[in-house]
Amino acid sequence: MADGTPPIVEALGLAKTYKGRRGDRTEAVKDLSLDCREGEVFGLLGPNGAGKTTTLRMLSTVLSPTAGTARIAGHDVVEEPDRVRAAIGFLSGNTGLYPRLSPREVLTYFGRLHGLDDGRIAARIDELAGLFDMGGFLDKRCDALSSGMRQKVNVARTALHDPRVLILDEPTVGLDVLASRTIVEFVRRCREEGRCVIFSTHIMGEVSRLCDRLAIIHKGRVQFLGTLDELRERSGQDVEEAFVQVLETAT
Amino acid sequence: MKPRIVSVIARKELRDVLRDRRTLFFMMLLPIVVMPLLMLGISKFAMKQSQQKQTRVLDVAADPFAVNTLKALAQEWTDANWKALMLAQGETTFEAMGGLEGLKRLTSFGEATEADAALDLGAIFRATAEMSDAQRELLTDARAIAKLVTQTVFVDPADLEATGALAQGVEIPDDLPPVLADERVTLAIQSKEVAAAIALPTDAFATLEEAEASVPFHVLYDSSQSLSEEAHDRVTDFLDVVNRFQLRLRLREASLSDGFAEPLALERANVATASRRVQAVLGGLLPYLLFAFCFFGALYPALDVTAGEKERFTMETLLLGPVSRLEIALGKFVVVFLAAIVAAVLTTTSMVVSFTYGILPPEMASAFEIEFQPLALALTGSLVLPVAALYSALLLAVGLYARSFKEAQSYTVPLQFILILPMMVSLLPDLEADSHLAWIPFVNISMLMKELLKGNYLWGFYTITLVSTLVLTVGALLGAAWMFKRESVMLRS
Repeated sequence: MADGTPPIVEALGLAKTYKGRRGDRTEAVKDLSLDCREGEVFGLLGPNGAGKTTTLRMLSTVLSPTAGTARIAGHDVVEEPDRVRAAIGFLSGNTGLYPRLSPREVLTYFGRLHGLDDGRIAARIDELAGLFDMGGFLDKRCDALSSGMRQKVNVARTALHDPRVLILDEPTVGLDVLASRTIVEFVRRCREEGRCVIFSTHIMGEVSRLCDRLAIIHKGRVQFLGTLDELRERSGQDVEEAFVQVLETAT
Repeated sequence: MKPRIVSVIARKELRDVLRDRRTLFFMMLLPIVVMPLLMLGISKFAMKQSQQKQTRVLDVAADPFAVNTLKALAQEWTDANWKALMLAQGETTFEAMGGLEGLKRLTSFGEATEADAALDLGAIFRATAEMSDAQRELLTDARAIAKLVTQTVFVDPADLEATGALAQGVEIPDDLPPVLADERVTLAIQSKEVAAAIALPTDAFATLEEAEASVPFHVLYDSSQSLSEEAHDRVTDFLDVVNRFQLRLRLREASLSDGFAEPLALERANVATASRRVQAVLGGLLPYLLFAFCFFGALYPALDVTAGEKERFTMETLLLGPVSRLEIALGKFVVVFLAAIVAAVLTTTSMVVSFTYGILPPEMASAFEIEFQPLALALTGSLVLPVAALYSALLLAVGLYARSFKEAQSYTVPLQFILILPMMVSLLPDLEADSHLAWIPFVNISMLMKELLKGNYLWGFYTITLVSTLVLTVGALLGAAWMFKRESVMLRS
């Protein structure tokens, strides 16, 4: 982590309000600001419905904020969504793989959409196949893969075009220990390579092992923003207790 | 917009869609295999039905006197027309109609069999196509005479086995001659022992001679049974022929001309050749079938690449690519459009092939000798493109709007009516291609195709149709691209 470098991800007063059919409004995210730097693993924590996924979707340009804005790699998510998308890799429970295509075909497709030439794509697929141990199933149809295999392919997809920022929404949810470990290793490796990784999780162990800094979101707002040590200091206890304490005192 | 990205998306969608069994079924299997089989099956069935109707031997209850009177009437007609029949036979293959053989048997009062009456429909078709109207009428009359007399087994009412009670709703009509008033006759018709019963008064010939009053020819039948109805029709046709013949005899006897009983005679002349008449029918039918298959060809790919993607959670993955929404819409459009075109081409080809080599007997197909002009065919073919484009764009928009494949399918049911029904206007014989119709989507294409196949080149109509359909397609495509930008539509769940 390099302090002093300008943040590569910067959210300023992000807000998202959903309008219901009868005119009722749900404020999923209110006035959320945060920043992350290259070489940093940033954790996003919060209970279900806190607004984590909405925040990550706004950062990835899938959703547009109703107020505030965010800049990623110098591009505004509202003004230049194409450039933002070129600079990030995004994974969530809603980013599936084409069941009738093989991992190799899926990766090739997204590589081409990102403007990579076929030679480069093939090299990257080889590289990632080694990293995620995908060699055995690269040419099977995705609908024949286990959820762990699929998640590996999906993470490989986010990394394929060498993005400077990776946004991973609960990347290890529902995975067994081995698959989770592969992904945790990958996040670590990204940090070493100087990328910025933002990921949300419910697993405190992952937070302790990986995060340089974290934000705890509850009721659509950032309730805590700082390093792990700062969080521990605040309560004098372990991360999980500190997390619960933040939620209980949330405004 | 980068064409390279559109092509990347289109190629991927094509590969994806071609691995979908439903799409393959609707795009390829349905037109190539199912359609011809279905058409072949239906036409064979219809042919068989018609053949059966032509050759069917019916049982009719009639006392020996009525049978003899009937045969005598038939004999009188045959004797008077023998020479003309022989002439007609010389020029045609009347033999194939079983008519003359049947009539010949009248003299020997031979028994009719189904094998005797076996028909060669193809030969009849070819033969009648070459005949003059008078010859055709003569042969039709001969057939009507032969059918009642030789393709009927007459059963004496005294020999009927019928027992039981009359069914509900069956009543014995009043004023029947004694032969038919017997309850057993009605029972026999009801139980299908006989198809109908006929009766003639014993003084029939005397009454005919006097020429003062009509001879009552009674037929008892049950119009709720198809065979009975057919027996009734045979009697009616027979009587029509005999009546015309007897009338002519009476006129001659009274030294009156044929015109005496027919103050005005219709003389018609048709400028349309047989080929043109067939073209008019096909021109009406073809657009409807073509567009229906175009629609079904586009349907599954369109929903698969839109609602299907949403359902499989791959839409969001795609939206995360650094590509514009218009590029995505266009890439998907290309594939759906291709599927629609392939389905349309396959349908037409398989229809033509199955018509030529399967459905119609060779001699009947050659009797039609349909010769469409190459320009008409080319222009007609060119109309498939805008239709496929408009269908594809509309279906894409609908598929995008839906949350799931199922929801999309439920939208497309009413859409099928809205999109395919206007195509059926080409089946309406009375609608003419007015220029204001050129502005009504789908109706214009359907009308135009019909006119083109008839050989009428309506260039103004063609231009308006093409331009208006193109404008609508672009509109629908932009609508689809706009929907890709709407998170409320794309992320609806």
